[in-house]
Amino acid sequence: MKLNIDGLLVYFPYDYIYPEQYMYMLELKKSLDAKGHCALEMPSGTGKTISLLSLIVAYMKANPLEVTKLIYCSRTVPELEKVVAELKNLMDYYEQQLGKGKPKILGLALSSRKNLCINPEVSQERDGKNVDALCHKLTASFVRTNHKRDATVPVCSFYESYDAHGKEMPLPEGVYGLDELQEYGRKKGFCPYFLARHAITHANIVVYSYYYLLDPKIAEVVSKELSKNAVVVFDEAHNIDNVCIESMSIKITRRTLDKCQQNIDGLSKQIQRLKDCDAERLKTEYQKLVQGLRDANIARETDVILANPVLPDDVLKEAVPGNIRTAEHFLGFMKRFLEYMKIRLRVQHVVSESPPSFLKDCYQKVCIERKPLRFCAERLNSMMRTLELVEIHDFSALSLLCHFATLVSTYAKGFVLIIEPFDDRTPTISNPILHFSCMDASIAIKPVFDRFQTVVITSGTLSPLEMYPRILDFRPVTMATFTMTLARTCICPMVVSKGNDQVAMTSKYETREDVAVIRNYGNLLVEFCSIVPDGIVCFFTSYIYMESTVAAWYEQGILDQVQKHKLLFIETQDAAETSLALLNYQKACENGRGAVLLSVARGKVSEGIDFDHHFGRAVIMFGIPYVYTQSKILKARLEYLRDQYQIRENDFLTFDAMRHAAQCVGRALRGKTDYGIMVFADKRFARADKRSKIPRWIQEYLKDGLCNLSVDEAVQVSKRFLRQMAQPFSREDQLGLSLLTVEQLDQEDTKKKLQSRMQYV
Amino acid sequence: MDDQGCPRCKTTKYRNPSLKLLVNVCGHSLCETCVEALFVKGSGICPECGTALRKNNFRVQLFEDPFIEKEIEVRRKILKDYNKKEEDFKTLEEYNDYIEMIETLIFNIVNNIDVDETRQMIEQYKRENKDQINKGRNKKSKDEEYLECLIEQEKEESSLKRKFIVEEEQREKDSKKKHKEALLDELMFSDRSALDILNEHKTDIDKENELRVPVMATTKFSTGIKLMGKYLRHIRSASDEEKGGGFESKLACMRALLDAVNGLFYLPDQV
Repeated sequence: MKLNIDGLLVYFPYDYIYPEQYMYMLELKKSLDAKGHCALEMPSGTGKTISLLSLIVAYMKANPLEVTKLIYCSRTVPELEKVVAELKNLMDYYEQQLGKGKPKILGLALSSRKNLCINPEVSQERDGKNVDALCHKLTASFVRTNHKRDATVPVCSFYESYDAHGKEMPLPEGVYGLDELQEYGRKKGFCPYFLARHAITHANIVVYSYYYLLDPKIAEVVSKELSKNAVVVFDEAHNIDNVCIESMSIKITRRTLDKCQQNIDGLSKQIQRLKDCDAERLKTEYQKLVQGLRDANIARETDVILANPVLPDDVLKEAVPGNIRTAEHFLGFMKRFLEYMKIRLRVQHVVSESPPSFLKDCYQKVCIERKPLRFCAERLNSMMRTLELVEIHDFSALSLLCHFATLVSTYAKGFVLIIEPFDDRTPTISNPILHFSCMDASIAIKPVFDRFQTVVITSGTLSPLEMYPRILDFRPVTMATFTMTLARTCICPMVVSKGNDQVAMTSKYETREDVAVIRNYGNLLVEFCSIVPDGIVCFFTSYIYMESTVAAWYEQGILDQVQKHKLLFIETQDAAETSLALLNYQKACENGRGAVLLSVARGKVSEGIDFDHHFGRAVIMFGIPYVYTQSKILKARLEYLRDQYQIRENDFLTFDAMRHAAQCVGRALRGKTDYGIMVFADKRFARADKRSKIPRWIQEYLKDGLCNLSVDEAVQVSKRFLRQMAQPFSREDQLGLSLLTVEQLDQEDTKKKLQSRMQYV
Repeated sequence: MDDQGCPRCKTTKYRNPSLKLLVNVCGHSLCETCVEALFVKGSGICPECGTALRKNNFRVQLFEDPFIEKEIEVRRKILKDYNKKEEDFKTLEEYNDYIEMIETLIFNIVNNIDVDETRQMIEQYKRENKDQINKGRNKKSKDEEYLECLIEQEKEESSLKRKFIVEEEQREKDSKKKHKEALLDELMFSDRSALDILNEHKTDIDKENELRVPVMATTKFSTGIKLMGKYLRHIRSASDEEKGGGFESKLACMRALLDAVNGLFYLPDQV
């Protein structure tokens, strides 16, 4: 259908549209017009992706000079594929409507070499890092020069032919998912990975992972040349601050340092060898460094493996300091730094320190100044290139140390160094870890906000919205949250606060070991197992809590009772085991046996796995999933947030807990025909500060009467709800209410009604 | 770390956790007992390399690699004399050449390459640049100063913060107590229904909490200039039309003052 969104002609590839999609597009258009950033929350399963794509494509078509590019960032490969599929759908619709006059659009997905490589030998490898290393072995510029001299040196034929012909031959317009890229590569004999990486500079729509924009190490390589008037979309962005922080944080253990020692020994041997046979090469490198000519101009695209973390421009233009110019001096320098790190890790108690005091101590102990430290990553990079090392993968430990050196000397604020002598859980085993932790999520994402004219942050659960601009430090032009328009009430959220014996249910630390609480939680599960058909997903606050609770349930005989009704599956910390459990859980749901999956909030299951329809008829959240508050890193971050952004500890903790809780319960509902019960089993959920932080589309249905239920009452409510949902439901029921045609959309009163479905923040 | 041991008596840290390794100028380590045994007279030779050593020059080995220990010892000594800073050079290249030269000197001495020549060079440099060395001895490089300034700032901030938190807690406690007392009083003496009173107090407290906006941290950009009356005397007072536009004579005065002093706060490399 063709829509008129505030004067813009939008082609929408479906016959019907959800009201909230229409509102979403309106808001999006506003921020595109204003060239500003926005944060939008819309429930999952209401077609965010297609709304985003169709509006932005239409906008690009109407204003080709204002917006030239759409960069769509998502988290996982399946999600990327979903976006590409929607985009294809949209382009087909354009084709069908306009025929030849359709906009010329090149859209493509970019992923790691592991997902794109078509070289028969390299693509055999399973591990992403190995694929990268093998690829580098075949395509590094020095390998290719050697190949010219000596034909026995193996190179990748796909890359060779891409390099020879592929650059002049741009990808024909169309939409390329990962499979299409591989296919095209096979047909032409080009390497799809480098083809895609080259093509993103002139593609109109790029779909890739967060990390290509946020992780400075990768962003430098991949996303450097993207134009300013692009629209960046971060989908599923509820965790974006953690992604930002992770991409800037470094963890160094004693083992890393031992490996560094081996790396350095290996390097010094290599240098000795090179000195004996080809001293000329070291000299040229030295000359280059003396002149201050950065390697930037000679760096070929295949060589940039260890790109530097964000450095201020002025440093990058400066020459490498004299005391690490020659290879031996640099190695000596690294040795000293390594020894220094070793003594730092030899601690008896937890040390928390700021970068400046670390640098000062470093200068006093081993006479290392700040300046050469800043150049570590660059210098190592240059050295690896000179030595023509093929197995770069082996040197990951040393490059990590160099990254750390560069970061610690570059950023004085927003970072903290925490050295822990042992793990909190095993205080007797010495296992020193140095955390170099970023506390300010805005550091990593700031370049993105500064560079691109519009950044859209969107997810199904972004509540409370006002927190995101604060922790990411940006000014949105629009912030809005949309609720789902439903023809029937298909979600049933409730807060169960007490058991039948009136003992309060809570995962509060003081009472979580209480037998009565555990028994009540067990009763709740048993009761729900007996009335809810198909799948039930339960979330615990942590693995430890889950283990102790399940053990207690076993002793109390609750597990036996559960198994009378359903099969039981448990998520573990092992990814392979979990996916097996998940597979069998789905099998059990498919064949009507019904199953219970016990999993953990913040675990793998809670992020990214959908329990639509019969896979999740009920979700039970046992307790509030607060993060482990005793961690030193968290404490440092909380303190930083309070000082810099005036965010109180409790506010942030509650925010974090509630967004994970929302993420968990949101798993159950992935569309309007779906239905599900959402049980918040903790009395604290009923409090105003927690309740107000639940996404609006859930909060709407969480009436006061459903906020303080006992197990029995909850069962009654659920029974009634399930009976209602069991009635036949067809598209006709939805039409006009939650599903609109163009004509209905044009009516005045619908527009008025629509306004109420949205709320600005 | 466990395989660290004394090269002479072969004791390791694993077998004797209280093992204390000492190191002397030559960069070879010995355990405490061996040092006691070998250097009874106060001096002797290193069992590894035969260098003559004094007992009181032994110090606890800080680093795992005794070679590094030696290097740092040498480095400290040389840096004491070669103490020019980046600011002492005209161009960056000259400075880079200079620090590379130092590095080569250290490298040569530590790795026993042309030791005599190098030492001679150092001696010569010392003689030639006596004044310079004495002058530069206690000077700190810009970088160090910058770091120190940062550390100082941090300390200040943390002490302020601590004070602030204590005050905040105290205030919260006081207000809670006050509210409780007021509530009890009212419940005791008022004729209204208890529920009403409770609700009213609740809303009161909520309102108060909302009003208390967190104090914004003072920016570092404030010049701290207090506008005294005497400054204003030299400024033309604003006309009525100007006041209508929101303009006050204070503004112009402030701007002039800022212009006059803001150069003082400009530190080119701290931007």
